[in-house]
Amino acid sequence: MNAHAQMAANFLANRERSDWHDQTLWMVRQKRDRVALSVPEWEQLREQASKIKDNVLSNLENYLLQFEQHALANGVKVHWAVDADELNRIVLKIINDSKAVRVVKSKSMLTEECGLNPFLEKLGIEVVDTDLGERIIQFRNEPPSHIVLPAIHLKKEEIGELFHEKLNTEKGASDPHYLTAAARAHLREKFLSADLAITGVNFAVAETGAVVVCTNEGNADMGVHAAPVQVHCMGIEKIIPSTADLGVFTRLLARNATGQHITTYTSHYLKPKEGGEMHVVITDNGRSERLGNVKYRDSLKCIRCGACMNTCPVYRRSGGYSYRYVIPGPIGSILAPYADIKKYKDLPFASSLCGSCTDVCPVKIDIHQQIYYLRQEITGRSKFPGFKKISLKLAAKIFAAGRWYDLSGKTARWAMKHLSRKIIYHPLNAWGRGRELPEVPERSFKEWYKKNIKS
Amino acid sequence: MSREKILHRLRQNSPLPVPPPGQFQENIVLAKEKLVEIFSRSLKQAGGECIELSNADDIYGWLQTHYPGAVDFTRGDAGKTYSAGCAKEKLERLETVVLEGRFGVAENGAVWIDDSCFPHRLIPFIAQRLIIILHKNQLVSDMHEAYNRLDLTGTGFGLFICGPSKTADIEQSLVYGAHGAMEMGVVLVD
Repeated sequence: MNAHAQMAANFLANRERSDWHDQTLWMVRQKRDRVALSVPEWEQLREQASKIKDNVLSNLENYLLQFEQHALANGVKVHWAVDADELNRIVLKIINDSKAVRVVKSKSMLTEECGLNPFLEKLGIEVVDTDLGERIIQFRNEPPSHIVLPAIHLKKEEIGELFHEKLNTEKGASDPHYLTAAARAHLREKFLSADLAITGVNFAVAETGAVVVCTNEGNADMGVHAAPVQVHCMGIEKIIPSTADLGVFTRLLARNATGQHITTYTSHYLKPKEGGEMHVVITDNGRSERLGNVKYRDSLKCIRCGACMNTCPVYRRSGGYSYRYVIPGPIGSILAPYADIKKYKDLPFASSLCGSCTDVCPVKIDIHQQIYYLRQEITGRSKFPGFKKISLKLAAKIFAAGRWYDLSGKTARWAMKHLSRKIIYHPLNAWGRGRELPEVPERSFKEWYKKNIKS
Repeated sequence: MSREKILHRLRQNSPLPVPPPGQFQENIVLAKEKLVEIFSRSLKQAGGECIELSNADDIYGWLQTHYPGAVDFTRGDAGKTYSAGCAKEKLERLETVVLEGRFGVAENGAVWIDDSCFPHRLIPFIAQRLIIILHKNQLVSDMHEAYNRLDLTGTGFGLFICGPSKTADIEQSLVYGAHGAMEMGVVLVD
């Protein structure tokens, strides 16, 4: 069994929890549908967003330079990081230069990708994640299992237990209001004593040098405005040309992510606060290389809304950890193999190719198509299990010859009915692992057709 | 150095130029007389309150009645008391804060506020309760209209704010007051 299938099996072992996970994410998907459909021009918005991103990707150099020029004029310090290591070292230098000791951070998938927290922690610098879900998993030493709902794999009782241990809440208390209030008090202390705040970036506007960050909790703003130094970490693909383009993306993002019309806070940071410092770290980490790959280039359009996860029948029933990559789900299945094809070769197969991810994608990435391409590439590299390969060759011959096909169908129907489970699911049947065979029909479609339609 | 390296790679790997799509063509424009109603509904959906006052002169009396201790940044010298250099601990004690909003967006209930509305950037977030006063004629239909009227030159920081701070990170249960204001209301005046 491949790694994803194995971890999915572990996830499914707790039926009650995996059902809850499945249903809860489906509920988010339904909320998204209701709110998205309330916007009559929804499809035009997706089309526009996709076209804006096409233009951006074909002109990244210029837009980044434009952004830099405006940011510098605004008094912002702009840094460029080729890879994860450089991003980490730049942030470390800003911390050291400003003699910061206490660091707070709001959600940033980029710093997650680059391993910023473990890098700083190794050097003895404590970074407090301030998004409630992220604080919860940070207490548990876990990575996020979803990019928008980082603690969706946990139940409130577990969080109650955790907070009892870490924040001294009452034992056995698991009311979300009570637990959130405890976290609020705990994190306010962290915000007010922070020397430096790090955030991710949702959009960076070339025309003005603004970076835009969207949150519901207000944690990015509490950190940024309380600490004297603010650092915004962005991937090069976060750039958009103009303020007017924000109109398109802010209409799509929250509706598609959580079914809200807009996030509570959509903050535009342009200049440092009085007496403060503002830094932006523009990071590549493999993106410029992916730009040159025609087939997979479109994955750079992603705005990290998480809708493809909520809708995915495989993600919902296997959990974020089964993907073992910073971005899970369908979009993760095309990003992860690009980062390490050997390690993540199983992910493109963790999909039903139903195409629901593509249907909900706000920037119209053809996710399932890319998953399909990746499958072909991986299979071509001959990493496919040997027996499946031989069986498929044999099947190709049988399918090509009508009589052999009829005969094999008959044999299979007889065999599946009469042979014991042990024989049918023998170790050579690669499809029998992790799958139940369908119920056997009485006759083939051909026979049924002859009898019912043809006459 | 890294800057040049990245830019060089981008130049090498850039796809053929794709032109920008041009301004988004809206086909739905909300009727002016409906904006107040739609704004109010959107804001309530996001957990905010929307109060309509027919007479702008009533506002101070109304505030006095409902939020007697409120710190009002729309007039007087609250701006001096809580200046940009003000201690964070002092800001932390802010209960109810009143700000003037620049304009509101009907389709989602968001209000634009920026550096010109508060002396210290923490104020809209750190206060326990936030009241925003907004003129009824300062409502736009949607985010396209909003960004078209927004001029960011000269602005250091600004945001669209919609409702109280919220989280659903514990089992998807909606809780107001994650880090920012626990309650948020907009008072619409003529």
